Amino acid sequence: MTGAASAADRDSAFDATSPRASLGYSVYRRFVDGIWHVEGSLALAPGDSANDAFERLDPLFQQTGTTHDRAGDTLTFRKQGQPAQDKMAVFDGGVLRIEPGAAGLVLRYRLASRALLFCFLAPLLFLAFAQATIVLGKFEQARTAAKGKKPEVKKPPVVLNPIDKALGAPEPDPPKKKKKADEDDKKPSPTPAYVFAGMFAALYAVGRVLEDRRIKVLFRRRLLGA
Amino acid sequence: MNGVRVGKRIIGAQAPVIVGWDNIPKVEGGPAKQIFFTWFQPTMLFALIAFWFYAPNSIAKASTAIGIGIGFKLLLLGLEWLAPRHESWRLTWKELTTDLFYVGIGFTVVRMIDSYIGDGAMIEAIQHSFDWEKFAWFTGLPLLVQALMISLLFDFGQYWMHRGMHNWHPLWLAHAPHHYITQLNVNKGAVGNPVELFLIGLGIGGFFDFVPRAALLAGAFSLAVGTYQHINVRFNSPRWWRFLFNTTEHHSVHHSQDFEASRSNYSNTWVIIDRLFGTCVDGEAELLGMEGGRPMSVRETMTYTFTEGWKSARERFGRRSMGPMTSAPLVPAE
Repeated sequence: MTGAASAADRDSAFDATSPRASLGYSVYRRFVDGIWHVEGSLALAPGDSANDAFERLDPLFQQTGTTHDRAGDTLTFRKQGQPAQDKMAVFDGGVLRIEPGAAGLVLRYRLASRALLFCFLAPLLFLAFAQATIVLGKFEQARTAAKGKKPEVKKPPVVLNPIDKALGAPEPDPPKKKKKADEDDKKPSPTPAYVFAGMFAALYAVGRVLEDRRIKVLFRRRLLGA
Repeated sequence: MNGVRVGKRIIGAQAPVIVGWDNIPKVEGGPAKQIFFTWFQPTMLFALIAFWFYAPNSIAKASTAIGIGIGFKLLLLGLEWLAPRHESWRLTWKELTTDLFYVGIGFTVVRMIDSYIGDGAMIEAIQHSFDWEKFAWFTGLPLLVQALMISLLFDFGQYWMHRGMHNWHPLWLAHAPHHYITQLNVNKGAVGNPVELFLIGLGIGGFFDFVPRAALLAGAFSLAVGTYQHINVRFNSPRWWRFLFNTTEHHSVHHSQDFEASRSNYSNTWVIIDRLFGTCVDGEAELLGMEGGRPMSVRETMTYTFTEGWKSARERFGRRSMGPMTSAPLVPAE
């Protein structure tokens, strides 16, 4: 058994004395663990043994950066520095177990993804950036008020070149006095940070559903050829 | 691997690189597909130039440029999905999320720092201590000439900054994480340590913002040419295009795992600058990255510049301060 794989096994095992247990494991598992874990089950083809199933899944664990260990009906794997095109690149470790089900053997899996956790936390980071921008903006405003207004840059009126005139380019607007709104436009805005917070929230929702489905399809294709 | 001699250098001795335009594969498929992927790039460039040239003053502003930039990138992401250049560069959810994280850092933290100590602060300082009357000759030039001058000047600055990053260790420490990318996708240009994003953003192009329309036209070159550096789409770029402009092919050579190949094609938009200074290599590569394609995690990308910088500084200065204590013979500095 590799060290990495055994560590993954320990991580995935349920410890009744852990704080998770005091929370009520099912609640924890559904709402907190579920943020970055994907789990599911799949019935094996009739007549297939655990050995057959793991043999079919084996190519998935022969990728660069993947270590795995099989003990009986359980396969534990760990990925580190996995290539972008690894079909399971989004996962960093997990456990696959073959168990008897109502109508034959069933594969149950539980996979951990730091990418999903990272994406889940990213909106919080960008919201923090937005708040920092607001605080810095207030600080800047106070500093500018204390220093007094900078003299306005005097720019000569721009005259359109005759070639541009002949080609029909619009005449530039005459230089106007700066309004307060123009000054406000130059202040750092928290809007990009809010936009990215929203974008990562949406990406998380998509990723959580998409990667769950993709891994199920991948396992089904390998096990059932469908 | 023997490699191919290009000037005084051997390209492709360490990792596969296709050298020469005639050896690069073309877009395959029916005539409609061929026409689309041959004329897409020039059409978009000329359409953007025409738009910024004729747009009324109420529309020709930075917020419109941001909107067009986002729309254009979404279109290119769609093309990547429909017609990828290499299956081995296909965009996955994880890659997209990671790339967007760096884009977000660029739009928030780096922009904020930039306004204090970057080109934002420099431009403001210059604009406040400049005799604008002396610049009337520039603003009186035809708009397209102004735009070309701004674009070329900005790219000239970026060329030397980028070349410096590949030739001076302290700057390389900031740039190295970007070279760990193993595939090219639309947002991969933003992947890297924030220090690099800050350094590469330094430029005096923005200094010319007193001619808004010319600056927007210059931005059209950056968007409709520079964006193709990092993209997983194959185009049959016309001969004149690939002679003047940086292409995905050029930039893939720059990102190749071959050391000599990676020291080429430094410009952002105008590859003609590389041609002038003898650093252009026409060709393409699929196998990209460093250390045999080892992917770099977000955490390592964010810390690499500082941790490696600390190690290098300790190695250089630590050893020097311990000089009299060591028994190793003293050697002159390089």
